[in-house]
Order: sequence, then structure tokens, then C-alpha cells
Amino acid sequence: MATYVNIEPTQKLDPFKAVKKIPLEEFFTSGHRTCQGCESSLVMKTMAKAAGPRTIILGSTGCMYVANTTYYSTSWVVPWMHTQLGSSGSAALGTAAALKALMRKGKIKNEPINVIAFCGDGGGADMGVGAISATLTHPDYNLLILMYDNESYANTDIQLSGSTPWGAHTTFSPPGKMKRIMHHRWKKNMAGMMAAGHPTCRYVATICMSYALQGMNAIRKALSIGGPTFIHSLDPCPKGWDYDPYQSHEMGELAVNTGVWPMYEVEDGVLKLTGRTQQIAAGKIKRQPVRNYLLKQGRFAHFTNDDIDYFQSKVDEMWEKWLVPGAIPFRREVEADNPPA
Amino acid sequence: MGRLFAIEIIYRGIFQKTLAKNISRAIVLAAHEDGKPGISFGRYGDSPERNGIPAKNFAIVGTDDETLEQGMAKYEPKEVDITIAVDDTLCKGVESWAWYGLQPVNRLLKPGGTLIVTSREQPEALIEMAHRKEYPYQLAVVKAIPSFSGLWVYKDDHTDVRILGAITRILPELFSLESVQKTIMAEWKDPLKATSAARSYERTTSITVQPSQGNPETPYKFELPKWFEMGEGVAIPSIPAGRSFEDPATHAVGGFRPARNPTFKKFTTRSMRPVVNFDTCIKCTLCWLQCPDSCFDVTPDGLYDANMQACCGCGVCEAVCPVKDCVTMVNETEFRDNASQWEMWKKDKEGYKTWLQEKIKSHPERSHGFRYRGQYQEQVPEMLEIAREG
Amino acid sequence: MAQMVAAVEEQQQTEKTALITGSEAIAVACKLADVDVITAYPIRPYDTVMQYVAKLVSNGELDCEYIVAEGEHSQFEIVKHASACGARVFCGSSGVGWMYAMEALTVTPALRIPMVVMVGNRALDDPGAFGVEHNDALAVRDLGWQLVWVDSAQEALDTALIAYRVAEDRRIFLPCAISCDGAFLTHSQALVKIPSQEKVNAFLPRYNRADLLLHPDNPITVAPQANEDWVMEMRRQNFAAMERTNRVIREAYADFERIFGRLYGNPFFEEYMTEDADIVLMGMGTLSTPVKVAIRQMRKEGKKVGFVRMRWFRPFAAEDLAKTLSRFEAVGVVDRDYSFGSPYMSGVLATEVRSALYSSPGKKPPVLDFICGLGGREVTVPDVERISDSVYQAADGKSQPLTQWIGLRE
Repeated sequence: MATYVNIEPTQKLDPFKAVKKIPLEEFFTSGHRTCQGCESSLVMKTMAKAAGPRTIILGSTGCMYVANTTYYSTSWVVPWMHTQLGSSGSAALGTAAALKALMRKGKIKNEPINVIAFCGDGGGADMGVGAISATLTHPDYNLLILMYDNESYANTDIQLSGSTPWGAHTTFSPPGKMKRIMHHRWKKNMAGMMAAGHPTCRYVATICMSYALQGMNAIRKALSIGGPTFIHSLDPCPKGWDYDPYQSHEMGELAVNTGVWPMYEVEDGVLKLTGRTQQIAAGKIKRQPVRNYLLKQGRFAHFTNDDIDYFQSKVDEMWEKWLVPGAIPFRREVEADNPPA
Repeated sequence: MGRLFAIEIIYRGIFQKTLAKNISRAIVLAAHEDGKPGISFGRYGDSPERNGIPAKNFAIVGTDDETLEQGMAKYEPKEVDITIAVDDTLCKGVESWAWYGLQPVNRLLKPGGTLIVTSREQPEALIEMAHRKEYPYQLAVVKAIPSFSGLWVYKDDHTDVRILGAITRILPELFSLESVQKTIMAEWKDPLKATSAARSYERTTSITVQPSQGNPETPYKFELPKWFEMGEGVAIPSIPAGRSFEDPATHAVGGFRPARNPTFKKFTTRSMRPVVNFDTCIKCTLCWLQCPDSCFDVTPDGLYDANMQACCGCGVCEAVCPVKDCVTMVNETEFRDNASQWEMWKKDKEGYKTWLQEKIKSHPERSHGFRYRGQYQEQVPEMLEIAREG
Repeated sequence: MAQMVAAVEEQQQTEKTALITGSEAIAVACKLADVDVITAYPIRPYDTVMQYVAKLVSNGELDCEYIVAEGEHSQFEIVKHASACGARVFCGSSGVGWMYAMEALTVTPALRIPMVVMVGNRALDDPGAFGVEHNDALAVRDLGWQLVWVDSAQEALDTALIAYRVAEDRRIFLPCAISCDGAFLTHSQALVKIPSQEKVNAFLPRYNRADLLLHPDNPITVAPQANEDWVMEMRRQNFAAMERTNRVIREAYADFERIFGRLYGNPFFEEYMTEDADIVLMGMGTLSTPVKVAIRQMRKEGKKVGFVRMRWFRPFAAEDLAKTLSRFEAVGVVDRDYSFGSPYMSGVLATEVRSALYSSPGKKPPVLDFICGLGGREVTVPDVERISDSVYQAADGKSQPLTQWIGLRE
């Protein structure tokens, strides 16, 4: 590969050895207008911290745009620019291309600068998936696309997205008298799709900032490995999931420990389960029942026991039938899918 | 020209969105029962709402259509007969999405207008929290645990109808109790709620707040620049890098304090704040690392001091802290300033310990939204009891 | 003048002449302007420029990041962000491709991005049709884009250089689209003088993003969300920038003539045989050729017809144009576009010409509109003669329809 790929050196970002080794400096600071207990803004903070000062961040429309930066009221210490809802891939590509050209032609100082574009699940898994996919096929540019997934269009009033879990209550899928379950689509497997579909993409990971050290180190690896990389972060959302913000951290832990959100990384094509997910798969800890997770969220308050059982069966299927839990829905045999009537 | 009535409901975004909408709609429907036209709207500038960030809902009623139109011609009312604060901590002021700077809770009240607050506090405590006003106004307290729930599951603890009862007593010209009860039956089909409204009507009293009473501070403002003073290309300067700072006791310099956003503070987003026991803190970093608002200043001696400019009161720090009672969320009504707890502790550790014990007594029993299925069913009876007792 | 003549002679010695299309001429301008980032996506007819750019890149004649995007929306978003980081960029599209990029086209002027693009004018779908119509480029006329139409490969090359100079001027920082009629310009080769690199360097300074540069050394937040307290002030800033273009464009053409010795006269519109004309025709782009041929014939028959070819549609030189048009008895606008339901059902150019005249102090000749040459249909010499006859009737005070379709089977 290297023979044909013309790529510049990246910043050397070794993993943080322990939480106490994490630097004090903040590059995304206070004063944003996100919700109490917003895990996505925690992702912004830790992402900027992991990347450091020589970084340019592009943000596509969504909560982390509208709530983080209102005019004359930004939270960013590093340079930041808005990009359109479906443009996170294009924004990262254009920025990286400009830096590459200007440095090669001696028009600006030659140094590795991190380029990160973030998008929500609406901007990433729905509208922007084409542009992200295209960008991940460009091996010559150093950039990271981070998708913060709060499982709905949370900024615009909680409408369902391709990343909203089955059956969840959103303003576009309200449980009604005739239809209890309005949303019949299963969550799109974005990270798996990106990893499977883009062989030259050297790093794809799923993270959850309830495990901040692991999440930050994934970001540092994605930025230093070189080429275009993709990270999918699951972010509990007190507003759209309807739970007490106090529980934001716990909600992320539950997503992982019930196996609803498997964490893994694909580095140079090698797939590895990570953190708690790896421990569950190795039988070191027991996978919790999904009801522990579902019953703590108002968006599932209309679920009957059948609904909860069905949800559990789909998660079990992911763990027991897929070749690799959570990663890609390849399996050895077809299973009948029996959603509740 | 007839009479125009304007009522604003100040509430905490998302948590009280449905509550505020219910109250505002019912006001207009009850007035309609009395033959008065009206409109109800949430302020567009406050959306998209965020958990905890103050927002407003308005009900405007006229004795006739032309009078109503006078009210509708304004983007929002410039003065109101009644201001309703459905969370008592909003008495400290309102910093919403719709403007920069902090506005007193009583800002829009007409002379002699009434501020209705749902609270368990005594009137004196609420008066002390609210900014002073140049002319007298009335204060009425609807005794209640401020009602918080989420977007999908509504906590039906009768707060909405009890407010309606209070309005009927304070502004009898607007609508009669009969019309209110008719509306309640039409909207909720619940005789119990109609009774709660009547009880609240009977019990509601108000006291006069004098210009000499209340918080004397002038709330911080933000001047809007002219078009040619603004930067081109929709660009603004980033937040400067933070820096280390000095220990007031030892004068050692170290730690890190992030630069804070100059135009949006979290003073009024909070309904509770963390109180830290620095003596038991094991410096595990979790409160600091997991805080979505980067609100903790890292002190020169490696402790974590929640900066009240930036803390929105989510409670995650308490949730992640591994040491029992090291970080405790305390009801915001307990505080009169936003001073640094760490500096207080450095200057007088014994005094701080006493202060701390005093504060953590009022760990708020209310929850800020849905915690588990069946929770509201457990909480509602207590509220109905309060409604009965008054 | 003598100095000018000397410049012209010197020019002839240093300049090479090449047989290239209008698209290739713009690609050559990209090379001379040392463009840093270029994005391509296929759609006829504009994409001929990108095919030529690709050759220049693969042959090492143009050092830039050349990115083939997965759609026009990304194509324009990529260069928008590259420009925000200080890169000189080039892009382009045609017809519905341009419309597919519309979201990116709206934010580009709002962000004050001096992008230079080529629009190979093409009819909008449906049906899929490759021929020229001007509605694609005209769709952005209200958004802060500078829009210029050219009618020769030489003018395409020269205008591209001028476009960079104007767009990247810190007083402006607005994007500029160069419109080239599909087929007539994009697919036919003509002899074009290629200016020397030295002269281009003397004319075109390096792009300096200055205070708006997105770079760790200049930490700014670009395009935060804003409410009703701010948006009107922001629009007023772009209004001011567009107001300044008139002056900056004049400066650029003056320098261009001084340095390259090629004369364009009034930058905003070209006048042809107007000195003694009774009536004038107006239009944009390559229909100038049949119109000029027809005028020369009609003059043999004693009909004093002149022609005004609009180059810059945005900014629209209203006062200047109204003053010129007041010299004639009647005006006939040839619109290679449509605007269904517009005032008098006229095309876009005629409607703008009428509004320019309405508020001018001088004489207001009648303005007739002629929808002609849609979908790439040939505008013939007889068409132009029919148009002129009708305009003469109007000049004699005889009533004529305000909008007529010419060259239509009926």
C-alpha cells in the first residue's frame, strides 16, 4: 500500500497510560448550551483533549453545532468551523487536502495538524453516509470522522434516525392507540459498514465515553495511524432517551454491559473486541439483561414484556449468531425474525 | 378598547415543557369558556430546548378580538399580569437561548402584578433570591415540589391545575373557577384534578414585595454590536486557552482553570449544585473527567473545584464519585452566591466542614426526569398529599 | 495609447497561441493561477474542464490536490472547506448537477468563500438535455454569487484570472461563477492566446485568507448558530461586500489591460455598433455571434441595430446600463432562459433590464423580451432579424407583445 499512497507524517499521540496521566488543558470548554448531563458534549471535550492544540475541528449541523456554538458564544479553544448536515466527510477531506497542498507548495509551515470532522447519527448514518464513505476511500489524507450517536435527531426535537433503536418513542414514532410500535427499523450498523466497505481505512472503532480513557485512546490512535479513520461513539441523551441527567454515565455503562452496544476496533483489517465487551465475550463478566437498560428510559416506557423479550432476542442473536458480536451481521445460518404482533 | 391579559410561564427546558404547555393551553381554553379569545405559544427563540435551560411559554387573552390582536402584534409580551415560575430556583433569574445576559424573574411584571412560584420554600427565601424591582409586586407560593419529568412520560402531579386555581384567585377578571373546572374536565376528564384546582383557588394568598426587598445585584448584560462592528464571514474569536492559578492560602501556583465562555453562564440553568468534601476527596479525577461542562477547576493542590459559572447541575459528578458523600448535589435554593468552595475550604477548613454539613442536609428529594418505570406513580401520591394539606 | 500599443506588441512576442476549447482555456487559467485544490464530478458539458485539469495534473503541469467527489454537493463542500483554510480552489458543474450542490452554493457566499467555478450552462432536467440554457447559473442570482457570462475561449481564460483577482480581494471574498454556454464554448476549439506566467504573477496576488484563516495559529469559530438578534446584520455585511464589487471589478480590468494589453472596455457589458443605433438587442453568452452577423447584414439594408452583451449579471451594472439604453428608441432582450410566472412572463434578463430602467432618471425605451435558443437550439440569423423587426415596430410606437417565443415550431 505504502508504495502507492502519498501520505504525510501524523502527530505522535501515544495512548494515555492512566486517567491521572490525562493532560489538564481543555480545548472544548464550558459555556455551551447542551442539556444537563449531555454525553455528546463530554465526547467533544474528551475528543479535543485527546487531539490537543494543533487541531482543526469541523462540525456538521446537529446538537453539537447548535448547542455548542451560538454566535459570539463558542466553547471551542481550537479552530472550529461549521459544515452542512451531510458534509462531515467532505469537510474533513477539503480541510486535509488544503493543508496537504499548502504545505507541499511551501505556502504554510509544514507540520502535522489533526483534522477531525464530527457528525451526529442524523448527519452521519443518514444524510452524510455517502460523503463519509467516499472520504474513507481516500488513503492520502490524514483525518478522523467521529460520529456521535445519540440515536435521534435530538437537536430538531427528537425525530427518529437510521440509528434509532427498534421501537423507541420519538416525535416521528409516537406510540398510539392503534400502533404501539411505530419504529420497526433495526439500528444501522455504521461502524461495521465503514470497516467492511473501506479496505484502505486503517482504523475504525466503536466507543462510549462512559469509558473515557478507552475512548480517548481510540481517538489518539485514529489520529496517529494515518489516512482517513472513523469512530462511532454511543452517547446517552437525557433529552431524547428521557432519563434523569444524573444517570448519563450509568446509561452508557448499561448500554455496554447489556451488550446492546459492543465496543470493538478494526486496525489494519484486524478486528478486536475492546474493554467490557471483550470481557463479556471472554466470559469474564456476565452480559446483563437488556431490561435493566430499557426500563430506565422513558423512550421505552410503552414497551410490553413481549417488546422487551424481542429486543433481548435481537441482542442475543447479535452475540450468539453473528460471526463477531456486534461487528458485522455475517452468520452461518439464517434465523427467523418474529417481532411481537 | 377592551382589556388585554398576558401571562408568562417560566420553566426549565424539556423537564417542564409539557407542564408549561398544559398550563398555557388551559389558561386560554378557560378564558374561552368565559367568552374571551386568546392564544398560547412557546417562545420560538428558546427552542430547540435543552434540559434545564430556562424557557418561556405565553398565554395572551383579550376581552375581544381587536384587543387580542394588540397583544399578538408583539413578538412576545413586553409586560405581563402574572409570571409563573414552575421551579423556585428560577427566582434567581433567567438566562435562556433567546438572549445573552441574565434577566430577573420578575422583569416583565406590571406594577402590582403577581409572581406565582411552585416551591416548598418560605416566601422570604424566594424574595431574597429574586432581583429587586423598582415598584412593588405580589408573590404567591403554590406549595409543591417543583414538578420535573421528561419528554415522553408526564408526571401528572396536579401542578398544572393547582397553578390554574391560583390564577383564578389572583386574576378573577380573567376567568371563573367554574370555567377552569369545565376546562379541566374537558382536557383531562379527571374530577380529582378539578378538586385540586378548587383547593388551590381557596388557599391562594399573596404578599406584597417592596422595592427595598430582594437581591440588590444588577444582572450581567451583553451589548449587541452594530453590523459593521461584527466580524465578517460569520467568524468569531475562539475561547482563549486556560491557565494555572494561585492557592489563596499557600500562594502556590498550579492546577488549571479553563477560560470560560464570556456570554453564556450556567447560573440559572442549575436547580442543584455539587458540594465537595475536599477532606475526603481521593483525587481520582472522575468528577473532572466525566463533567460534560468542563466545570471543574483543577486546583494547585490537585483537587477539583466546581466553578459555578459553568456548572449546570446535572449531577454526573456525584454519580461517578467513588467516595461516599464526597460530592453531594444540594438544592440551589440553599445558596446566595457562586463563590469557590475550595477557596472557602482553604481559608477555614473547620468553618467549611460546618457549612458543608449544613448544606448537604438539603439534598433535593426531587428527581430531574425519568429514572425508572413506575417512579412517577410512587412520587405522585406525596404531591397529592401536599396539594390536600396545602 | 502608444503605451498600450507597445504593450500589445510585446504581448504578441511573449504569448503562445493554442487551439483549445473554452473549458480547456479555463483549465489553463487554473494552471496559471497555481490553484491548490480542485474537485471534479462528471456531468456534461462542464466536465470537459476537469478532464483537461486531470491531464495537467497527471503530466505534472499543475500541482494541486485533484479530488473526484461522489456527488456535486460534496464537490462544492470540499473546496469550500479547502478555501477556508487558505487554499485557492476551483470547481464547477452544469444543469441539475449545479442544483444538486445548491445547499453548498448557498453557504459559500454566506461564509465569504472566494471560490471560482465554471458553469457549463445546460438545460435543467426533466427531460435530460445537454443543450444550453442559463437557468442553472441564474438560480443562485440572489445569494451573493458573482455571475459572469463569456462568449469566447479567450474571454473564458482572461475572465477566470480576473475572477480570482476579484473574488480573493479581501474587500470582497465572494464566490464567482463563470458561465460558458454548453457546446458552443465547452466543446468547440478556438485559437487562444496563453499569457505568460510572469504576467499572471504580476496581475494575480497570492490568496490571503487573512483574519478568516482556519488554522491553529488563528483560532476562530466559523459560522456558529445565530438567532434573530444577528442574522440581519450578517446579511447587511454581504450586501456591503457585493456593493464593493463594482469598484474592484473595474480596478481588475484596468490592471488586466495594463499588464496583458488585451482591451475589454466596459467590464460589465460589451457594446457592438451602438454609436449610431436606433434600436439595440441584448443578450448573454455565445448568442452574440449570430446576433452580430445579423446586425452586419441588417446594416446593409440601412437598419441601424446595435447589440449590448451583458458580461457581469451579478453585480448588475444597473445605472451604467440604464444610461446606455436611454440612447435608443427600443430594446430587444434575447433571453436564453425562462422565468415562468414572472412579470409579463418574461425571461430573467429582460425582467432585470426593465427594473434597472424603471428607476433611472433618463429616457426609458420600451423593452421587448424574446425567449430563444432554449435547450441548446440554434439562434439563427433570421431569428435575429424577426426580433429586430418587432423591436423596430415598438420603436415606432406600434404595440408589440412584451414576451415572444422565437424559433419555436408553431
